[in-house]
This record gives sequence, C-alpha cells and structure tokens, in this order.
Amino acid sequence: MNFAVTIGKTVFPNPVLAAAGTFGFGLNFPRVANAIGGVVTKAITLEPRPGNPPPRIYEFPGGIINSVGLENPGLVRFQTELLPRLQRLKSRLIVNIAASSVAEFGRLAEELSSARVDGFEVNVSCPNIAEAGVVFGQSPALVEKVTRTVRHKTAKTVIVKLTANFVDPVETAQAAAAAGADAVTLINTVFGLALDKLGRPFLGGRTGGVSGPAIKPLALFCVDRVAAAVKIPIIGCGGIMNGQDALDFISAGASLVQVGTASLRNPEAPLVVWQELKGLCRKNGFTSWAAVLGRTRRSS
Amino acid sequence: MRRFTGRVTDVRRLTADIFSVWLKEPVLARAVQPGQFVNVLVGDGITFLLRRPISVADVSGDRLRLVFRVVGRGTAGLSQVRPGAQLDLLGPLGRPVRVGTSQDVLVCGGGVGAAPLLFLSRRLVRNNRLVVVLGARSKADLILVREFRALGVKGYLATDDGSLGWQGTAAELAEQVAREMNRPVVYACGPKALLADLVRRLPRHKLWGFVEERLGCGTGICHCCALPKQDGGYLRLCQEGPVVLLNKVRL
Repeated sequence: MNFAVTIGKTVFPNPVLAAAGTFGFGLNFPRVANAIGGVVTKAITLEPRPGNPPPRIYEFPGGIINSVGLENPGLVRFQTELLPRLQRLKSRLIVNIAASSVAEFGRLAEELSSARVDGFEVNVSCPNIAEAGVVFGQSPALVEKVTRTVRHKTAKTVIVKLTANFVDPVETAQAAAAAGADAVTLINTVFGLALDKLGRPFLGGRTGGVSGPAIKPLALFCVDRVAAAVKIPIIGCGGIMNGQDALDFISAGASLVQVGTASLRNPEAPLVVWQELKGLCRKNGFTSWAAVLGRTRRSS
Repeated sequence: MRRFTGRVTDVRRLTADIFSVWLKEPVLARAVQPGQFVNVLVGDGITFLLRRPISVADVSGDRLRLVFRVVGRGTAGLSQVRPGAQLDLLGPLGRPVRVGTSQDVLVCGGGVGAAPLLFLSRRLVRNNRLVVVLGARSKADLILVREFRALGVKGYLATDDGSLGWQGTAAELAEQVAREMNRPVVYACGPKALLADLVRRLPRHKLWGFVEERLGCGTGICHCCALPKQDGGYLRLCQEGPVVLLNKVRL
C-alpha cells in the first residue's frame, strides 16, 4: 500500500505528523522526525515571546492543561539559528505561525515563503495568548481574512489550525477553504482551568489549553462534522495516543493526523503511532487510504 | 538520552514519605552523571499521562538509585513497586554538573534534597576539599547519612527541632560552615525556601542549586519547565538545568 498523502504542494510520505508545540522544532529527535510524515514546528511569532510564568502544565486523569504561552525566539532568530539546522532534517517541515494581527500573519508568511520549508500551519487557535490569537479562530470572517492574506503571500502549502472553542468549526473551516487554504487542522487545545487547593488558578497563565485523550471524542466529532461540509483535506489532532486512535481519525475523515500530547510521555510517540497504524492497515487488508478515509460517514 | 527498561532490585522506605529504589540498567547507570535525572513512567497513560522526573541519587556498577519523596498519587504509585518490576525510564536528562578540582566545596541538602548530592559528592570527593551539611525537620527525616559518612568527609547535621545535630536549618548551618572554609563553591538541593535562604546568606559564593519545577516532557520539546531568569525571560529547567547558578534565576 502507498501510504503517501498529498496536501497542497506537499507530499507527506505517511499521514502521521508531530503536532505543533509538542515536538519543539523537530531537532531534539531527528530519527523520529525523519521517519514520520512530517513535523509541525512550535509556533513562531514575529517578535520573540518569553511565554507565561510557571507553572505551565497541569495533569489530570485523561490529559493535561498547558499554558506555555507561545514561548518562541521570534522570526529573526528562527531564520538565523533554527532554520539552518532544520534543513538537515529529511522530514517534511510545516512552520506553525501565530500572530496578533492579520498583517503580522502576512508578514510571517512572506518572510518565510522563500525558506526551505514545505508549508505553514496558520495558528488561529492558540488559547494561551491574551491578544487576538484565539479570537481569530472564533470568527469565520477573521479566519477568512487571515487565510486569504497568508495565501497571497506564499505559494507553499497553507494549513489553517482551527479551534473548537465557542465556534462551529464547520463555519471556520468553510471560511478557510473559501480563502484558499489547502487543509485545516482540527482541533487545537480546548479552554481549561485548573485550581489549587485554595481555589486559585494553578497555572501561571491563569487558564490553559486542554489536550490528551480527554479531548479525543470532541476532536473526532469535529473532524466527522467538518468532513461532511468541506472539500479540502482535514488533519486530525486531539488525544491520539496509538495507532487505533489515528485510524479512528482517518475513518472520521482526516487525511492526516498529528500526535501531540503523547510525545510528552514518549518522544517516540509519533513514530510508534505510525508503526501501529501501518500494522492496522496490514491487518485489515487496506489497499489504499481511500478505503478508510471517511468510512465512518459511509457506514451510517 | 534514550528510553530504558530498568529492573527494580531493591525498594526501601527511608522516612515516612521518602523512598529509595535501586534499578538495574547497565547502559543508563554508566551514562548518567551527577546533576542529571531520569523521567519515570508511573501509569497507563490515562491516570498519569506524564512521567515523573527523579534525580539520580547514586550509581553502583550497573545499578542506579532513585530516592524520591511521595508528593502525589504518581509518586505514591512508584513507591509501591516491588523488586523484579520493570520501570520505563527516559534518561539521562538534564545537564551534568561540571565537577571541578582542587576546590573547597560545600554541599548542602535539605530533606530529600540530600539525594542527588550523594551522587555528586562521590565525584567531588576525589579531587576537592568537600564538606557536607544535611538538614531536615527532625532526626527521623534525615536520609542517606550513613552513605555520606562512608565518604569519609567532614559533615554536619541540622534538624529544625534539634533532635539530632545542630538545631536550625541547613541554610543557617551552611552559612556558618562556609565561613570556616576558603570561599567554597556551594551545591544545594532542597525546598525553594532553603535555596532562596542560601542566596541571601551566601551572596558572594558561587552557589549552584538543584531546582524543581513542574515538568512536561523532560526532553526539551514542550517548554513547560520554565524558570524565570534574573535578566528576564525563562530558562528551560530540563535543558539548562536542573542545576543552575542561583543568582541567575528568580526562585
């Protein structure tokens, strides 16, 4: 079976990617990076961001809540220090970009459009920045505006990472598709609050983003729902811990999947998920992704 | 850094809430350096998704020793392991301490903080003038005293209630001991309050602290273990620590 999946101009050798923010910039585990479908980098913003005060992570049965706050070295240091090292990776490289204005998104795409990267994941859904980040993702009109701006600045693959927080992702996915996105990622972390024993917010950033197995049903719901409404490919993300989870997302309509929180538990998780998924395909006798993709909807 | 499976060979309760676990893993035991830690899997991925970072307290041949305090359900579960059990470990993690030579060195441990200092002291004692200060709430809470004694270096004990050794905190005692020494380099491990107190008491010393923070991955990919720097921004404790110069950070 040919496992490759094409999104926009990018041919991913297999459908398992490392999700943004949970695999650094892909440099820590090159062996894993080179064996999976591709790596989505930690989000890059125009200016450096120090991130939120600690604690930045809270664990609960079924997942975690993080409030990293988009800590990153900014565009210039990404270009000068990280990109040259990233070029040594053989894997497909998608740069996650985050911004607090439409113009900033455009600037990031423009500055990086000549870099040797495969494409962008436009982050309109990070819950950890007080500015416009998540607001973009909650407004179909803004998603369309941001996507159109990025689309105009680059010929590379454009993926829009959407949120399920307080918005119907069908509307934002349709907006992204209308504006020329090659794919959408569903879903980013969902809003969460953790308290200490005195009733105070536990996280330094006060609130955070929930991820892990706890959000898989919601993510799967969103993929299934959006797959019925939009034609562009979907990248499924949310609580994928093993090959069966990945297969579930593909069945629900995701062309690719991203492994996120699982990498915090085991940095080889994206590779393990891919190997397990491959095993499941063999076991089930699948001959092409078309046989699996969206089979949930065909069966009901 | 690699993923290992260590076989538990010995489990011991050191105090009411501190446990010692010896693990057999030859490659890891040889690779790990003082200051480094391992990240231990404690659950099936649902109840406890994250690993638990534990500093290495000692190494002997192909075995390594983890000494940890039970602080929640994850570490409580870990304290229940039995000899023969297999533990899933990532390591070695963190930056090793660079052990110098021919220096006056003072190590100061509070409570379970004595643990990583034992491994460090084994290396320090070879080529330095080492003095050890250990403190705890009371006699029953002091750990690894026998192991430190076996190093054959000068050592002092402090307890908050005076039930053994000097009555007071490890930081108070360390300040006095440091005065008798030739501007020692200090390595400290213990609660943040102890580290902060040492910074106040020994402002002109090169003061290294083993710092604890909530960790996500331990491998540098999640940026969760942020420690504020004095000059702004944060450092990643699992990458630039866990042993840091205390005057460079805000505790």
